[in-house]
Amino acid sequence: MKRLSSIYFGILGVVTLAFGIADLLVTIGGSGLSFGILEIPCDAFRGGWGGLIILSAGLFYLAGIKNISEIHQLSKVMMGSILIWIVAGLDIFAMITESIPGGDRSWFNTLEGFLETYAPPYTPAIFLLPFSLVVFYYILKKERNILKKEEDEE
Amino acid sequence: MTKLDVDERWDLIDKISKKTVTFGEYKHTLKDAIGELTVKPLTGIPIAIAVLYGFWSFFSSFAGFFTDGFFVKLFDEHWLLWLQEIFPGKESWLYYIFVGDPSATNCFEAFGVLTSGFFVAIGVVLPAIVAFYLILTLLEDSGYLPRLAVLIDTILHRIGLHGYAIVPTILSLGCNVPAVAATRVLETRKERFIMMTILAIFIPCGAQLGIMKEVIPDTMGFVIFYLFMGYLIFGFILNKIIPGKTPEMLIDVPPYQMPTAQNVGRKLWMRTSSFFKVALPFVLLGCVIVNVLYLTGFIAWMGDILSPLFIGWFGVPSETAGPLIAAFLRKDLAVAQLSAIEMTRYQMISAVVLVSIYFPCVATFAMMLREGWKELLGSIAVLAMVVTLYGGLLHLIWILLGVA
Amino acid sequence: MKILLMGHPNVGKSVLFNRLTGANVIESNYPGTTIDYTKGYMRVGGEEVEVIDVPGTFSLDPKDKAEEVAVKMLHESRDATVICVIDASKIERGLYLVLEIVEEGYSVAIALNMWDVAEDKNIKIDVVNLERILGVPVVSTTAISGEGIKELVSRSRGTAPVEVDDIFERVED
Ligand SMILES: Nc1nc2c(ncn2[C@@H]2O[C@H](COP(=O)(O)OP(=O)(O)OP(=O)(O)O)[C@@H](O)[C@H]2O)c(=O)[nH]1
Ligand SMILES: [Mg+2]
Repeated sequence: MKRLSSIYFGILGVVTLAFGIADLLVTIGGSGLSFGILEIPCDAFRGGWGGLIILSAGLFYLAGIKNISEIHQLSKVMMGSILIWIVAGLDIFAMITESIPGGDRSWFNTLEGFLETYAPPYTPAIFLLPFSLVVFYYILKKERNILKKEEDEE
Repeated sequence: MTKLDVDERWDLIDKISKKTVTFGEYKHTLKDAIGELTVKPLTGIPIAIAVLYGFWSFFSSFAGFFTDGFFVKLFDEHWLLWLQEIFPGKESWLYYIFVGDPSATNCFEAFGVLTSGFFVAIGVVLPAIVAFYLILTLLEDSGYLPRLAVLIDTILHRIGLHGYAIVPTILSLGCNVPAVAATRVLETRKERFIMMTILAIFIPCGAQLGIMKEVIPDTMGFVIFYLFMGYLIFGFILNKIIPGKTPEMLIDVPPYQMPTAQNVGRKLWMRTSSFFKVALPFVLLGCVIVNVLYLTGFIAWMGDILSPLFIGWFGVPSETAGPLIAAFLRKDLAVAQLSAIEMTRYQMISAVVLVSIYFPCVATFAMMLREGWKELLGSIAVLAMVVTLYGGLLHLIWILLGVA
Repeated sequence: MKILLMGHPNVGKSVLFNRLTGANVIESNYPGTTIDYTKGYMRVGGEEVEVIDVPGTFSLDPKDKAEEVAVKMLHESRDATVICVIDASKIERGLYLVLEIVEEGYSVAIALNMWDVAEDKNIKIDVVNLERILGVPVVSTTAISGEGIKELVSRSRGTAPVEVDDIFERVED
């Protein structure tokens, strides 16, 4: 369990780090990149600033994987996930606020236009979001283990 | 009645607590460990950067949703057209004051009380203020704010400011008035004076941020950066030249806690409504006064007199005189007014910076007066110097870059 | 009757004040939220009671303008019952201010607030014994959930000034 989680968050950390670097490179390069369902933004805000945060998230993951069950190490992994949630959460929030108004034509968007906003490609942060949620599973499992241990001791 | 001295009191407390308090074993929880990460510089700085990102992203999405998504359309395509149609007497001064320029096609240009006044206050500033206070409240109630103060302390100390200065600074991003009041928790007169002065000069309020996002979305980042650098530079200089102490201050860090929806909602409502009680009358009054000053030719006259200063020193068009008068009442109104003046991108940046730093708005001014007239006079002296130097510096930068 | 809430910054005075009076003063999770005093009213058994919320202060020797307000308010309310609000998880520091106020001859009651936090931290406080030693009412409260507040109000009605010398004696038994 411990070993497996270290490997999982290690890989996630490397991928996150790579996404962060890609974000920054694309921003410096100045034109957006899109392959398949992944789109890397190139504006200074989402790509540059956001990329910097994704990059730190990757570093947090990598700093936390050694001896992950120790609480201070785990907190770093947790923080990596929190950073991803901040960026991804606000990317999604931005999508929501864009999807509702109708632009020049009408007050509200058409249903098609509304749904279209949510279609891929997605930003790296949104892409990482589901994988970052695994930290919850790990914490729950760990707590359950501790409870079990305490019961056994009693 | 017996009075104890400090040591006797602590002795007594020691005895009492020995008899009544037992400290059980306490293990660090995940929450504590995360708390530690947020205050240590190496990990805390990336986190603070992320929080700031979240803050700005939310602010612009939220405000953009209401303002660009709905209010612009409502005010420009319906409200303005309707008023232009039904308001009698296109040539009268009453029309000019209330509806503004009859040929205007949007609510920024019109500049009447009912058109621009309401558009600025409700269409632009209201969403911005709600967005700001929502995030501020979350930061406050979760307990992140004092941790940010601890984190910043190590950095700000290098330039002689105290970390706790971040609390009034962040408050003043909403409105400078409560921020000036919040400087009361600083210990010495010197600290209070420095803080109050650089807040009032350099920190744009939520209303101003909201309107800047509408008027100069592309260059706003630079304006904020320039203002923030001014905050640091002049904080540093004032700290060096003003006699007095800036003592160390212990920042008590409370535990992290989940904000309750009830308290967040209540605070949001209280702050937004009290903001509007102050802001709305001033915005509307500001429109009236500025329009009357235009009608009487006062602003054109001022512009002529000040034009050497404006054009030669600051590098902005002489029409900037109008917005600068409005800025004394409301900064948001002044920025809105700037948007209707013909100028280059760089002149616009200079003008927005000038509007921000040249004088605190009247509500802040009144609050500073309440804190002491000597301080206020001192602040004004600093302000005059800052406007001349720092405003002129921007012009110099443009000249050196070859864009002015 | 008049009640004055005194205590360190960020111990929950404003939350308590809002609960007691139904007012809406700002409460936040950092020290130095309240910077001016607020008066409010509550009814206790048909009697109108004035309650005052003040900025937090560490001692009666003010360090800044906000603390000055608190100390000034205390000295202007000689007839008031002072409810000292203490963070139960940092009880020792809180007692310092309590002693200072007791020494000046005020009628004092103590709210051991943040009781939930103290419990989480495994801190156990013998309230009965504390009350015996100090000779003033001591009530454990959790202001955010409202626990203990009723008792605090009813207990703080009959409180009288105590002598520090007596506290010295009682702590030795
Ligand atoms: N867990 C817990 N939190 C509490 C309790 N009482 C208050 N709080 C929290 O403590 C924080 C501070 O409360 P305030 O009432 O603003 O504190 P204050 O004493 O008025 O502080 P100042 O105005 O700065 O002097 C808030 O975030 C409250 O939610 C309590 O009993 N338990
Ligand atoms: Mg308070």
